[in-house]
Amino acid sequence: MHTLRIDPADPRPIWRQIEETVRHLIASQSILPGSSVPSVRDLARELQVNPATVSKAYQRLTDAGVLTVKRGEGTFVSDAPPALGNGEREARLLREALRYASLAVTLGASQEETVETLKAAWGGLTSGDEE
Amino acid sequence: MTSPTASPAPLIQTEDVTVRYGRRTALEGVSLSVPAGSVYALLGRNGAGKSSLVRCLLGEQRPKTGRALLLGKDIWKQRASVLREVGVVPEEPDAPPAMTARQLAHFCSRLYPRWDAEGVSARLRRFGVPEDVPFGRLSKGQKGQVALALALAPSPRLLILDDPTLGLDPLARRTFFDELIGDLADRRTTVFMTTHDLTAVEGIADRIGILQDGRLLLDDELENLKRRFRRLSFPKTEAGVPAAVAALAPVAVAARGWSVEAVVSDYDEAWLPHETGSRVEISSLTLEEIFLALVGEAKGGTV
Repeated sequence: MHTLRIDPADPRPIWRQIEETVRHLIASQSILPGSSVPSVRDLARELQVNPATVSKAYQRLTDAGVLTVKRGEGTFVSDAPPALGNGEREARLLREALRYASLAVTLGASQEETVETLKAAWGGLTSGDEE
Repeated sequence: MTSPTASPAPLIQTEDVTVRYGRRTALEGVSLSVPAGSVYALLGRNGAGKSSLVRCLLGEQRPKTGRALLLGKDIWKQRASVLREVGVVPEEPDAPPAMTARQLAHFCSRLYPRWDAEGVSARLRRFGVPEDVPFGRLSKGQKGQVALALALAPSPRLLILDDPTLGLDPLARRTFFDELIGDLADRRTTVFMTTHDLTAVEGIADRIGILQDGRLLLDDELENLKRRFRRLSFPKTEAGVPAAVAALAPVAVAARGWSVEAVVSDYDEAWLPHETGSRVEISSLTLEEIFLALVGEAKGGTV
């Protein structure tokens, strides 16, 4: 999966869909460290979305160290994984895990099913499949 | 997305605007504002009052009560000076039929302090609109594209588009929005548009207004709408709508085959479907589905 699509039926804001898909593309190595990403203008036109939306997603990815802006050259996937302080990294992982766990509970999933699904998703990333 | 750095002064503000034609009320107490840097889409069925509101914004119609401020000024009182900074693409672009796009551009250029003549030519080339064909012989889509090219040439602070893609084929629509997106990327122009093209608006607009029977039914950020609205589907039973669903005060309820769908407008993530005592599926809605739930099926729907 090398393309970025947005889904109008998805309740997540479009900037978040873009942000999370870019993270996914990087995690699954569909886009490699050091490679360039489309300009805000080009991606906005391709997705037919407001450039401010793309810009917001890129800004958050840049703040998180996932993307790097090289002045005058464009925006690139960072070479090294973002260096987060140890406490921050763990807090972040826990926060996202909590979100997933709460969702699983409201869907009535068992702990076992929830963990198995996470493993399947992890496997999907490394084999390059989209969920 | 309204950026926090955007100027707080809205570029459009209507205050309690009411318009009557004889005994018929076209607009009733409409108050909305369009923040600087935003893209506002006004939706509504035919006859809901969209055109009346646009006429008020352009100073062509005097509200019976209330007023419309553009760039902070009362448009009815200061029409000429305000419209110099506003680009307009009308629903039916009109121009002397014998004049070519080149002649029109030359004519318009003298009315504005700034004019990007090369930008006009470049846009017309991208649209594939010939500059030497009389306006009267252009297709509807081409007329709209000429109107957009001319509207953008003075680098307006505010762009008002009245159903700009009505009657355009999908390719012409795409080109039109490409151009608009390009302008947004370059200058963050503030845009106010009326439209029926809900799919396109879904990606571009950040704020939505819905008019029905002359009243503003809803005025909110699109992101908020997507968060607030959900469809709850549950099996059709003798008991009717489960109490826990009814407690959410659905804006529309309709039977669909074996199930019943309720659309709620104030969904809370903490709401637990199993408390209804029956299986409830929760799904999010596209803007088009939200629109239909509010103005379409709510009225004629049956359960």
